[in-house]
Amino acid sequence: MQRTEKVLQLRGQQGRSVRVVREHYVRPDVPCRSALCRAACPRDGKLLSDDVTHYVVPDWKVVQDYLEILEFPELKGIIFMQTACQAVQHQKGRRQYNKLRNLVKDARHDCIVFANEFHQHSYLPREKGESMEKWQTRSIYNATVWYYNHCLGQMPVVMVTEDEDAIRQYGNETEGVFVISFKNYLDNFWPDLKAAHELFDSIIQARRERESESQENNGKEYPEHLPMEILEAGVKSGRYVQGILNVNKHRAQLEAFVRLQGVGSKETELQSDILIYGARARNRAIHGDVVAVELLPLHEWKGRTVALCENETEDKTPADTTGDPMPTGKVIGIIQKNWRDYVVTFPSKEESQSQGKNAQKILVTPWDYRIPKIRISTQQAESLQEYRVVVRIDSWESTSLYPNGHFVRVLGRIGDLEGEIAAILVENSISVAPFSEIQMSEMPVSSSKNPWKVNPEEEQKRVDLRDTHLIFSIDPKGCEDVDDALSIRTLPNGNLELGVHIADVTHFVAVNSYTDVEARARATTYYLADRRYDMLPSILSADICSLLSGVDRYAVSVMWELDKESYEILSVSYNKTIIRSAYKLVYEAAQGLLDGDTSAVGDILELKDLDERTRQKKLTELVWAISKLTDIARHVRAKRDSCGALELEGVEIRVQLDDKKNIHDLIPKQPLEVHKTVAECMILANHWVAKKISENFPHQALLRQHPPPRQEFFSELRECASAKGFSIDTRSNKALAESLDKADDPQDPIINKLLRSMATHAMSNALYFSTGSCPEGEFHHYGLALDKYTHFTSPIRRYADIVVHRLLMAATLKESKGDVKDNVFSNKDLEELCRHINNRNRAAQHAQKQSTELFQCMHFKDKTPETDERCIADGVIYSIRTNGVLVFVPRYGIKAAAYMKNKEGLVISCQRDSSCEWKPGSLHHFQNKITSTTTTGESVTLSLFDHITVKILVHTSRCHADTIKLEIIRNAPYQTLDTEVSQKNSNVAKSELVKEVSQSAEEAQRAQEKARVEVIEEEYQEYCQTKGASLYQLLEEIRDLALLDISADIRT
Amino acid sequence: MAALELLSDEGYRADGRRAAELRKVRARMGVFAQADGSAYIEQGNTKALAVVYGPHEMRGSRSKALHDRALVNCQYSMATFSTSERKRRPHGDRKSSEMTLHLKQTFEAAILTQLYPRSQIDIYVQILQADGGNYCACVNAATLAVIDAGIPMRDYVCASSAGFVEDTPLADLSYIEEASGGPQVALALLPTSEQIALLEMNSRLHEDHLEEVIEAASKACKAVHAVLDQVVRDHVQEVTALLGD
Repeated sequence: MQRTEKVLQLRGQQGRSVRVVREHYVRPDVPCRSALCRAACPRDGKLLSDDVTHYVVPDWKVVQDYLEILEFPELKGIIFMQTACQAVQHQKGRRQYNKLRNLVKDARHDCIVFANEFHQHSYLPREKGESMEKWQTRSIYNATVWYYNHCLGQMPVVMVTEDEDAIRQYGNETEGVFVISFKNYLDNFWPDLKAAHELFDSIIQARRERESESQENNGKEYPEHLPMEILEAGVKSGRYVQGILNVNKHRAQLEAFVRLQGVGSKETELQSDILIYGARARNRAIHGDVVAVELLPLHEWKGRTVALCENETEDKTPADTTGDPMPTGKVIGIIQKNWRDYVVTFPSKEESQSQGKNAQKILVTPWDYRIPKIRISTQQAESLQEYRVVVRIDSWESTSLYPNGHFVRVLGRIGDLEGEIAAILVENSISVAPFSEIQMSEMPVSSSKNPWKVNPEEEQKRVDLRDTHLIFSIDPKGCEDVDDALSIRTLPNGNLELGVHIADVTHFVAVNSYTDVEARARATTYYLADRRYDMLPSILSADICSLLSGVDRYAVSVMWELDKESYEILSVSYNKTIIRSAYKLVYEAAQGLLDGDTSAVGDILELKDLDERTRQKKLTELVWAISKLTDIARHVRAKRDSCGALELEGVEIRVQLDDKKNIHDLIPKQPLEVHKTVAECMILANHWVAKKISENFPHQALLRQHPPPRQEFFSELRECASAKGFSIDTRSNKALAESLDKADDPQDPIINKLLRSMATHAMSNALYFSTGSCPEGEFHHYGLALDKYTHFTSPIRRYADIVVHRLLMAATLKESKGDVKDNVFSNKDLEELCRHINNRNRAAQHAQKQSTELFQCMHFKDKTPETDERCIADGVIYSIRTNGVLVFVPRYGIKAAAYMKNKEGLVISCQRDSSCEWKPGSLHHFQNKITSTTTTGESVTLSLFDHITVKILVHTSRCHADTIKLEIIRNAPYQTLDTEVSQKNSNVAKSELVKEVSQSAEEAQRAQEKARVEVIEEEYQEYCQTKGASLYQLLEEIRDLALLDISADIRT
Repeated sequence: MAALELLSDEGYRADGRRAAELRKVRARMGVFAQADGSAYIEQGNTKALAVVYGPHEMRGSRSKALHDRALVNCQYSMATFSTSERKRRPHGDRKSSEMTLHLKQTFEAAILTQLYPRSQIDIYVQILQADGGNYCACVNAATLAVIDAGIPMRDYVCASSAGFVEDTPLADLSYIEEASGGPQVALALLPTSEQIALLEMNSRLHEDHLEEVIEAASKACKAVHAVLDQVVRDHVQEVTALLGD
């Protein structure tokens, strides 16, 4: 045995090049493993057969690239040189190398490995300055020659190489050793082996593509981003498109869409979103980033996937279920990164072990499906396994498949309510620290002993309405932040005076005070399913600013003089006032008074202690006021309807909790007419305030717009409606409203609801904006059919309203005193603020939706679906996909997917009694129905708006939020009392229907509420949660609409 | 890039040895005239220099003196240039004090210390180039140096390491084999009596395999012994040849 040394230049830990000396032992006794061998080589193990025409030695490059061809059993007598094997191991990685090893081990394959580098005579040291590739080829050739000589020239040896120089240099050097190219070899020796030739061509093809790609990116995982200047110029010139990246939640690995943004979209003919298909095309952009996109040529466009899918199972064959091709592009640069804190979960023990050696580097799974896995280096991985954790992304290099991040803090245990709520808050970037001392010190003092009093100086400045007007508020039960009150009276000239009085929050919250800054940051009060986070300290929201009955309060009042007959608005005034609300009514009581239901009177606290005569008198006054208001509201509504106001529908549920915060039940809500009355008054006030401020501040007023939806989003709605024989006209809001009214199946009121909610989904969100940043034509509010609209009526829980209040005050001052510049944001600042508020509102909506889903899941989680009656419900199919249907469950307000083909590929089939089970078969998808046919020939067809019975299951997931899954158990409606009630009701007139259903629901609710009075009391103390049907719960009714206007206004 | 393959299917290690083969050992005695005994050893690319002073009377505090035997004082160090990346190696860092202790234990077991009560024997070892099996090289070098100094010993102390990769025990690990993190046994043996002077193991190894691995290590020790014995004989011959003329 001889000892030699190899000197290598390696990369050290810090990236410096390090000189390493390694020993290398060569020996004379390396077995050649050929059956032809005449020397004394040991002959154990696999031998190369001697009945072939030649031996073939593939060069390292050939082994690397064409191993698949060498795997053909027809190819015999292959000698893999050790040099080639090592090249594969180092450059192609473990998988390819294992393939090679298995090939060599396989006894059926006539191939061996010859350890040429350890043989004294076939080893060649690498020369100075010689490239690795050249040396490898030289070694292999040398070993080939040795091998030929070792077998005493009994067998010709062919060396196949891709190296042209080698062919030229060695081709004729030794007799009996041929050096040719691989293509040549295949052509000459295996002309009949078709499959090998085809494979060869396809490998060449694939490699060429890869090479052309890697020319751009030098073998990196992702192409580099272009520099900012090029992006900006490209976007301006229209070469690239700028937009916000939206990752498809259900196919986060593959699909993302870029929604066009800004001016770029006008010039291009593109109307729809741009599909970004695959992680490479997405090029390290994360959901929410503003990216620049280059469109791909037309023939590379792909369609979006229409099949239902679960995120966990990676679908390998998406091609068969895609829709029509749509514009497809690739991300070439990120204009603005939108990274935030992410909630993640560490892999469980089993998973982390499989992640291998780099124990400190761990891939964690974000809670949000749309965020890619993040690589974290931490030592605490094991102890954090059971927790939800916040991480931040640091960087994402083009050489790395995943972004790098670091661990920030722990939120709570997985599955724990507090932890999950905290996760929801972090995911929506909501921070809700308690109010600081410095903020609280700004607050006026008010306690039960020393209640807050009206300042005499202020009294002089304000209009006193305390004695002249009958003012009352209508709110949900237990509401404590009353920010609006109403009044109506007959003026001496016979006309009516309608008043809307809004709490004067701005009086207490000075511009740029600590409280103001905090409120601006929060922008809105956050309502979650079981709690809320106030925008203003509770001393303001629940006491001093709250328009409670029997106490003096500052207000901002909008008052209209109406014609006594036609209710035409004759004049309007905006004043700072002092009011004293006479009644604090709840919706149910007000509705009772309106209906002449005397039992409701008992609920009105303010009337309790009076004697019978004054009570009657006051009651008559109040009833007159409410009915007059309702009358006016109907009138205003009708006028708005004639302009095309939409009535949109969304079914909402409320969560009932018991004392241990377990979920009692989920109850869908029903609206009353009084809701509409109050909402209409608020819309009127908002509308008039919007008019006023935009007149006075044409360039810096905060308004709210609702852009008209894009027509193509309505296509689904139109198709669905046509399935039931309705035609929906979506050309204008008026046409839409009318056709939605017509599309009502008397047998099934749910259909109309579903159509309305579909219409809502097709629309874009209403947004705040500054009048200076938008042409006047775009001020329009589509949903409410108003030319100008803003938010004015809820300053306690929305910051936008506070801004509007200040604007209104400035506007009135301006008229009296001339120019006022104070307290008014400039257009640019206001634009910035609007963006912030819109963002926060969206976050609030998401947080609320997610918390409701959390509670839905928790509700069904502890129930065993097999036995529990409550897990079985009636569902309506509202959308058909290729492998299942989307089902709406009216009882719980749940929308979820139900599969018709399960993971084993079995499809659903129905028995005689219409119960369902899984059987092998196939699915056929049509426009409005889906048919599953079993192999035995039975078939089931489900079409749009069919009623089916579903079982509600919770799909638990470690890293993400739990989701609700539905399973079809019978393809017939679920027969319960509920459906009977609704069927009976469907024959009754519409308004009566509302009343009746609400009353029956009410009764059920009241019964439950009585039983839980103590419970609520407790919660109330704990969270200051408004009692019973809170503001928030009402909001839920319209939550899904995503139109905050309507929802917010009904609540006001 | 895939991780280095430590033992190929054909049975070769990364440097071309088979599982039981040692690296090439070369040694010289008496490399330092000033010291009482000295030796230099190369085991593959691991190079060590050992120097022995004594037995002499106690230096420093006399209180350490042992009344019935000699005190063995060892010191292990690594040269700054011994690894591929230059690194300052202060005396008394954890690794080298551990090594010092091991050496001391080894040689207290081998040297007939009771012959020199109240005196002291100093053994200084330095690694000039590290490429795996530092301890083994040190022990082997020190054995030669002690012999060179003429201090009576029970037997040669020969050391070798062994590892365990893919169900095969590997003798005499090189640096890349050590660095892979597999189990590793260092054994110091008195070859003729097969008494174990020191046995140390790193990382986890199933009990069932322990015997095989120790067997491989002790075989390697005996092989080392053969080499060292030859070196000593050659050296003595050389010296006598010098004296004899």
